[in-house]
Amino acid sequence: MNTPFRLDDHPRRPQPLAPPPDGYFDRLPTQIMARVQPAASQESTAFGWLKALSLPLRTALGSVVVLGGFAATFLLNQSSAPTTPAHLAHANLASVPRTEMVQYLLASDERVSLSDLSELPVAEQDMVGEYLNVSPAEVQAALDEQPTEPSYL
Amino acid sequence: MEDQEILVKFADPASRNLAFNQLVRKYQQKVYWHVRKMVVDHDDADDLTQDTFVKVWNHLGNFRQDASLYTWIYRIATNECLSFLSSKRRKFFLPLNDVSEELAAKMEADPSLAGDEVELKLQKAILRLPDKQRLVFNLKYYEDMKYEDMAEVTGTSVGALKASYHHAVKKIEQYINEPS
Repeated sequence: MNTPFRLDDHPRRPQPLAPPPDGYFDRLPTQIMARVQPAASQESTAFGWLKALSLPLRTALGSVVVLGGFAATFLLNQSSAPTTPAHLAHANLASVPRTEMVQYLLASDERVSLSDLSELPVAEQDMVGEYLNVSPAEVQAALDEQPTEPSYL
Repeated sequence: MEDQEILVKFADPASRNLAFNQLVRKYQQKVYWHVRKMVVDHDDADDLTQDTFVKVWNHLGNFRQDASLYTWIYRIATNECLSFLSSKRRKFFLPLNDVSEELAAKMEADPSLAGDEVELKLQKAILRLPDKQRLVFNLKYYEDMKYEDMAEVTGTSVGALKASYHHAVKKIEQYINEPS
Protein backbone atom coordinates (compact mmCIF):
# COMPACT_ATOMS: atom_id res chain seq x y z
CA MET A 1 0.00 0.00 0.00
CA ASN A 2 1.34 3.39 -0.97
CA THR A 3 2.11 5.99 1.70
CA PRO A 4 -0.40 8.86 1.51
CA PHE A 5 1.04 12.03 0.02
CA ARG A 6 1.92 14.68 2.60
CA LEU A 7 2.96 18.09 1.38
CA ASP A 8 5.48 18.58 4.18
CA ASP A 9 7.33 15.45 3.09
CA HIS A 10 7.49 16.51 -0.56
CA PRO A 11 10.74 18.21 -1.62
CA ARG A 12 9.93 21.83 -2.29
CA ARG A 13 10.97 23.32 -5.61
CA PRO A 14 11.69 27.03 -5.23
CA GLN A 15 10.51 27.67 -8.78
CA PRO A 16 8.18 24.98 -10.07
CA LEU A 17 8.09 26.22 -13.67
CA ALA A 18 10.64 26.47 -16.45
CA PRO A 19 12.87 29.55 -16.16
CA PRO A 20 12.29 32.49 -18.51
CA PRO A 21 14.42 32.87 -21.67
CA ASP A 22 18.12 33.53 -21.21
CA GLY A 23 18.96 37.15 -20.45
CA TYR A 24 15.33 37.98 -19.66
CA PHE A 25 16.14 39.64 -16.34
CA ASP A 26 18.98 41.61 -17.97
CA ARG A 27 16.61 43.07 -20.56
CA LEU A 28 13.57 43.60 -18.34
CA PRO A 29 14.77 46.79 -16.55
CA THR A 30 15.52 48.43 -19.91
CA GLN A 31 12.08 47.51 -21.25
CA ILE A 32 10.36 48.85 -18.15
CA MET A 33 12.40 52.08 -18.18
CA ALA A 34 11.46 52.55 -21.84
CA ARG A 35 7.79 52.29 -20.88
CA VAL A 36 7.97 54.83 -18.07
CA GLN A 37 10.40 57.16 -19.84
CA PRO A 38 7.94 58.73 -22.35
CA ALA A 39 5.72 59.74 -19.46
CA ALA A 40 8.72 61.23 -17.69
CA SER A 41 9.91 63.20 -20.73
CA GLN A 42 6.40 64.52 -21.44
CA GLU A 43 6.21 65.75 -17.88
CA SER A 44 9.51 67.54 -18.21
CA THR A 45 8.72 69.19 -21.53
CA ALA A 46 5.19 70.32 -20.79
CA PHE A 47 4.73 71.26 -17.14
CA GLY A 48 7.77 69.65 -15.60
CA TRP A 49 9.25 73.07 -14.86
CA LEU A 50 6.32 73.75 -12.53
CA LYS A 51 7.54 71.01 -10.22
CA ALA A 52 10.83 72.80 -9.81
CA LEU A 53 9.01 75.75 -8.23
CA SER A 54 8.16 75.81 -4.54
CA LEU A 55 4.53 75.51 -3.44
CA PRO A 56 4.12 79.24 -2.54
CA LEU A 57 5.58 80.21 -5.91
CA ARG A 58 3.23 77.87 -7.72
CA THR A 59 0.28 79.32 -5.77
CA ALA A 60 1.38 82.86 -6.57
CA LEU A 61 1.82 81.95 -10.24
CA GLY A 62 -1.66 80.48 -10.33
CA SER A 63 -3.13 83.65 -8.79
CA VAL A 64 -1.32 85.83 -11.33
CA VAL A 65 -2.66 83.74 -14.18
CA VAL A 66 -6.24 83.99 -12.87
CA LEU A 67 -5.99 87.76 -12.28
CA GLY A 68 -4.37 88.23 -15.67
CA GLY A 69 -7.28 86.38 -17.22
CA PHE A 70 -9.76 88.73 -15.56
CA ALA A 71 -7.77 91.80 -16.64
CA ALA A 72 -7.52 90.57 -20.23
CA THR A 73 -11.27 89.90 -20.33
CA PHE A 74 -11.98 93.38 -18.97
CA LEU A 75 -9.66 95.08 -21.47
CA LEU A 76 -11.02 93.13 -24.40
CA ASN A 77 -14.58 94.06 -23.45
CA GLN A 78 -13.59 97.71 -23.14
CA SER A 79 -11.93 97.82 -26.53
CA SER A 80 -14.81 96.06 -28.26
CA ALA A 81 -17.48 98.43 -26.84
CA PRO A 82 -18.81 100.93 -29.43
CA THR A 83 -17.27 104.21 -28.30
CA THR A 84 -16.85 107.48 -30.18
CA PRO A 85 -13.80 109.61 -29.57
CA ALA A 86 -14.43 113.11 -28.18
CA HIS A 87 -13.09 114.93 -31.24
CA LEU A 88 -15.37 112.91 -33.53
CA ALA A 89 -18.38 113.76 -31.33
CA HIS A 90 -17.59 117.48 -31.61
CA ALA A 91 -17.16 117.19 -35.36
CA ASN A 92 -20.51 115.43 -35.73
CA LEU A 93 -22.24 118.01 -33.58
CA ALA A 94 -20.68 120.84 -35.53
CA SER A 95 -22.09 119.45 -38.76
CA VAL A 96 -25.70 119.82 -37.47
CA PRO A 97 -27.13 123.19 -38.52
CA ARG A 98 -27.67 125.45 -35.55
CA THR A 99 -31.20 126.21 -36.65
CA GLU A 100 -32.13 122.56 -36.28
CA MET A 101 -30.43 122.35 -32.96
CA VAL A 102 -32.33 125.35 -31.54
CA GLN A 103 -35.62 124.10 -32.96
CA TYR A 104 -35.00 120.76 -31.37
CA LEU A 105 -34.21 122.30 -28.03
CA LEU A 106 -37.26 124.59 -28.13
CA ALA A 107 -39.57 121.75 -29.14
CA SER A 108 -38.55 119.81 -26.04
CA ASP A 109 -38.85 122.45 -23.35
CA GLU A 110 -37.68 120.09 -20.66
CA ARG A 111 -34.24 120.32 -22.14
CA VAL A 112 -34.00 124.13 -22.11
CA SER A 113 -33.99 125.68 -18.71
CA LEU A 114 -34.04 129.32 -17.76
CA SER A 115 -30.41 129.16 -16.89
CA ASP A 116 -29.70 128.02 -20.46
CA LEU A 117 -31.60 131.02 -21.72
CA SER A 118 -29.68 133.32 -19.43
CA GLU A 119 -26.41 132.11 -20.87
CA LEU A 120 -27.55 132.32 -24.46
CA PRO A 121 -27.38 136.10 -24.92
CA VAL A 122 -23.92 136.15 -23.50
CA ALA A 123 -22.61 133.29 -25.65
CA GLU A 124 -24.45 133.87 -28.90
CA GLN A 125 -26.06 137.33 -29.07
CA ASP A 126 -27.04 136.94 -32.73
CA MET A 127 -28.92 133.73 -32.14
CA VAL A 128 -31.25 135.40 -29.67
CA GLY A 129 -32.49 137.83 -32.16
CA GLU A 130 -32.55 135.41 -35.05
CA TYR A 131 -34.31 132.41 -33.49
CA LEU A 132 -36.10 133.54 -30.35
CA ASN A 133 -37.45 136.79 -31.73
CA VAL A 134 -36.74 138.54 -28.46
CA SER A 135 -34.21 141.16 -27.57
CA PRO A 136 -31.55 140.58 -24.93
CA ALA A 137 -33.27 143.13 -22.77
CA GLU A 138 -36.52 141.15 -22.92
CA VAL A 139 -34.70 138.00 -21.97
CA GLN A 140 -33.03 139.83 -19.13
CA ALA A 141 -36.37 141.23 -17.95
CA ALA A 142 -37.92 137.75 -18.01
CA LEU A 143 -35.07 136.43 -15.96
CA ASP A 144 -35.35 139.28 -13.48
CA GLU A 145 -38.94 138.34 -12.81
CA GLN A 146 -37.86 134.90 -11.64
CA PRO A 147 -37.46 134.48 -7.86
CA THR A 148 -33.89 134.78 -6.78
CA GLU A 149 -34.31 132.25 -4.00
CA PRO A 150 -34.96 128.61 -4.75
CA SER A 151 -38.68 127.97 -4.37
CA TYR A 152 -38.22 124.92 -2.23
CA LEU A 153 -36.74 127.02 0.57
CA MET B 1 20.45 49.85 -2.27
CA GLU B 2 18.06 49.87 0.70
CA ASP B 3 14.38 50.63 0.14
CA GLN B 4 14.58 53.86 2.13
CA GLU B 5 17.48 55.07 0.00
CA ILE B 6 15.58 54.18 -3.16
CA LEU B 7 12.59 56.21 -1.96
CA VAL B 8 14.73 59.23 -1.11
CA LYS B 9 16.47 59.14 -4.48
CA PHE B 10 13.19 58.62 -6.30
CA ALA B 11 11.79 61.77 -4.70
CA ASP B 12 14.61 63.78 -6.27
CA PRO B 13 13.92 64.32 -10.02
CA ALA B 14 17.66 64.30 -10.71
CA SER B 15 18.10 60.74 -9.40
CA ARG B 16 14.62 59.36 -10.05
CA ASN B 17 15.50 57.19 -13.04
CA LEU B 18 18.54 55.72 -11.32
CA ALA B 19 16.53 54.91 -8.19
CA PHE B 20 13.74 53.29 -10.16
CA ASN B 21 16.19 51.24 -12.17
CA GLN B 22 17.65 49.96 -8.91
CA LEU B 23 14.16 49.18 -7.61
CA VAL B 24 13.32 47.15 -10.73
CA ARG B 25 16.59 45.22 -10.52
CA LYS B 26 15.99 44.49 -6.85
CA TYR B 27 12.42 43.21 -7.17
CA GLN B 28 12.02 41.99 -10.74
CA GLN B 29 12.66 38.31 -10.05
CA LYS B 30 10.39 38.18 -7.01
CA VAL B 31 7.59 39.95 -8.88
CA TYR B 32 8.05 37.86 -12.03
CA TRP B 33 7.90 34.52 -10.20
CA HIS B 34 5.01 35.63 -8.03
CA VAL B 35 3.08 36.53 -11.17
CA ARG B 36 4.30 33.56 -13.17
CA LYS B 37 3.04 31.07 -10.59
CA MET B 38 -0.37 32.68 -10.84
CA VAL B 39 -0.68 32.87 -14.63
CA VAL B 40 1.77 30.06 -15.60
CA ASP B 41 2.47 31.43 -19.10
CA HIS B 42 5.76 33.34 -19.48
CA ASP B 43 4.39 35.93 -21.94
CA ASP B 44 1.46 36.76 -19.67
CA ALA B 45 3.84 36.95 -16.70
CA ASP B 46 6.13 39.26 -18.67
CA ASP B 47 3.25 41.63 -19.52
CA LEU B 48 1.94 41.66 -15.96
CA THR B 49 5.39 42.17 -14.46
CA GLN B 50 5.96 45.19 -16.68
CA ASP B 51 2.49 46.55 -15.92
CA THR B 52 3.20 46.14 -12.22
CA PHE B 53 6.39 48.20 -12.40
CA VAL B 54 4.74 50.87 -14.54
CA LYS B 55 2.12 51.23 -11.81
CA VAL B 56 4.84 51.33 -9.19
CA TRP B 57 6.46 54.21 -11.14
CA ASN B 58 3.15 56.07 -11.38
CA HIS B 59 2.25 55.75 -7.71
CA LEU B 60 5.56 55.57 -5.87
CA GLY B 61 5.45 59.33 -5.27
CA ASN B 62 2.28 58.80 -3.21
CA PHE B 63 3.63 55.78 -1.29
CA ARG B 64 2.96 56.60 2.38
CA GLN B 65 5.37 54.08 3.91
CA ASP B 66 2.76 52.75 6.34
CA ALA B 67 3.56 49.40 4.70
CA SER B 68 6.94 48.16 3.51
CA LEU B 69 7.89 48.82 -0.10
CA TYR B 70 8.25 45.07 -0.62
CA THR B 71 4.66 44.23 0.42
CA TRP B 72 3.32 47.28 -1.43
CA ILE B 73 4.88 46.09 -4.69
CA TYR B 74 3.56 42.57 -4.06
CA ARG B 75 0.12 43.98 -3.50
CA ILE B 76 0.19 45.76 -6.87
CA ALA B 77 1.44 42.59 -8.58
CA THR B 78 -1.25 40.53 -6.87
CA ASN B 79 -4.01 42.88 -7.97
CA GLU B 80 -2.67 42.76 -11.53
CA CYS B 81 -2.80 38.94 -11.47
CA LEU B 82 -6.28 38.72 -9.99
CA SER B 83 -7.61 41.32 -12.44
CA PHE B 84 -5.99 39.46 -15.34
CA LEU B 85 -7.51 36.11 -14.38
CA SER B 86 -10.89 37.64 -13.68
CA SER B 87 -10.97 39.54 -16.99
CA LYS B 88 -9.91 36.39 -18.79
CA ARG B 89 -12.97 34.59 -17.43
CA ARG B 90 -15.26 37.50 -18.29
CA LYS B 91 -13.79 37.91 -21.77
CA PHE B 92 -14.23 34.30 -22.78
CA PHE B 93 -17.20 33.50 -20.51
CA LEU B 94 -15.12 30.77 -18.93
CA PRO B 95 -16.11 29.11 -15.66
CA LEU B 96 -13.53 28.70 -12.93
CA ASN B 97 -12.60 25.13 -13.88
CA ASP B 98 -11.97 25.96 -17.53
CA VAL B 99 -9.33 28.54 -16.64
CA SER B 100 -7.72 25.99 -14.30
CA GLU B 101 -7.76 23.44 -17.13
CA GLU B 102 -6.19 25.95 -19.50
CA LEU B 103 -3.45 26.74 -16.96
CA ALA B 104 -2.96 23.01 -16.30
CA ALA B 105 -2.53 22.38 -20.02
CA LYS B 106 0.21 25.04 -20.10
CA MET B 107 1.75 23.45 -17.04
CA GLU B 108 1.87 20.04 -18.72
CA ALA B 109 3.74 21.57 -21.63
CA ASP B 110 6.36 23.00 -19.28
CA PRO B 111 9.63 21.13 -19.90
CA SER B 112 10.83 21.45 -16.32
CA LEU B 113 7.99 19.19 -15.14
CA ALA B 114 8.57 16.48 -17.76
CA GLY B 115 8.96 13.08 -16.12
CA ASP B 116 8.06 14.22 -12.61
CA GLU B 117 4.54 12.87 -12.19
CA VAL B 118 4.16 13.81 -8.52
CA GLU B 119 5.32 17.36 -9.10
CA LEU B 120 3.02 17.72 -12.10
CA LYS B 121 0.10 16.43 -10.06
CA LEU B 122 1.00 18.84 -7.26
CA GLN B 123 1.00 21.76 -9.68
CA LYS B 124 -2.36 20.69 -11.11
CA ALA B 125 -3.76 20.43 -7.58
CA ILE B 126 -2.55 23.97 -6.84
CA LEU B 127 -4.18 25.23 -10.03
CA ARG B 128 -7.51 23.80 -8.92
CA LEU B 129 -7.59 26.14 -5.93
CA PRO B 130 -9.61 29.37 -6.18
CA ASP B 131 -7.39 32.27 -7.27
CA LYS B 132 -7.18 33.97 -3.87
CA GLN B 133 -6.49 30.73 -2.02
CA ARG B 134 -3.86 29.81 -4.61
CA LEU B 135 -2.28 33.19 -4.02
CA VAL B 136 -2.14 32.56 -0.26
CA PHE B 137 -0.72 29.08 -0.82
CA ASN B 138 2.00 30.35 -3.18
CA LEU B 139 3.06 33.15 -0.85
CA LYS B 140 3.37 30.80 2.11
CA TYR B 141 4.58 27.58 0.53
CA TYR B 142 6.99 28.89 -2.11
CA GLU B 143 8.02 32.28 -0.75
CA ASP B 144 7.69 31.53 2.96
CA MET B 145 6.24 34.97 3.50
CA LYS B 146 5.25 35.90 7.04
CA TYR B 147 1.51 35.95 7.68
CA GLU B 148 1.75 39.59 8.78
CA ASP B 149 3.28 40.53 5.43
CA MET B 150 0.73 38.41 3.61
CA ALA B 151 -1.99 40.32 5.45
CA GLU B 152 -0.59 43.58 4.03
CA VAL B 153 -0.39 42.11 0.53
CA THR B 154 -3.86 40.60 0.47
CA GLY B 155 -5.72 42.92 2.83
CA THR B 156 -6.92 39.86 4.79
CA SER B 157 -6.55 39.10 8.50
CA VAL B 158 -3.77 36.82 9.71
CA GLY B 159 -6.30 34.34 11.13
CA ALA B 160 -8.15 34.08 7.85
CA LEU B 161 -4.87 33.57 5.98
CA LYS B 162 -3.80 30.74 8.29
CA ALA B 163 -7.14 29.03 7.84
CA SER B 164 -6.99 29.51 4.07
CA TYR B 165 -3.50 28.00 3.85
CA HIS B 166 -4.46 25.06 6.06
CA HIS B 167 -7.49 24.27 3.88
CA ALA B 168 -5.43 24.65 0.72
CA VAL B 169 -2.92 22.07 1.95
CA LYS B 170 -5.73 19.66 2.82
CA LYS B 171 -7.34 20.09 -0.62
CA ILE B 172 -4.03 19.50 -2.38
CA GLU B 173 -3.20 16.38 -0.39
CA GLN B 174 -6.70 15.04 -0.93
CA TYR B 175 -6.49 15.64 -4.69
CA ILE B 176 -3.10 13.93 -4.99
CA ASN B 177 -4.15 10.97 -2.85
CA GLU B 178 -7.28 10.36 -4.93
CA PRO B 179 -6.85 7.37 -7.24
CA SER B 180 -6.54 8.76 -10.79
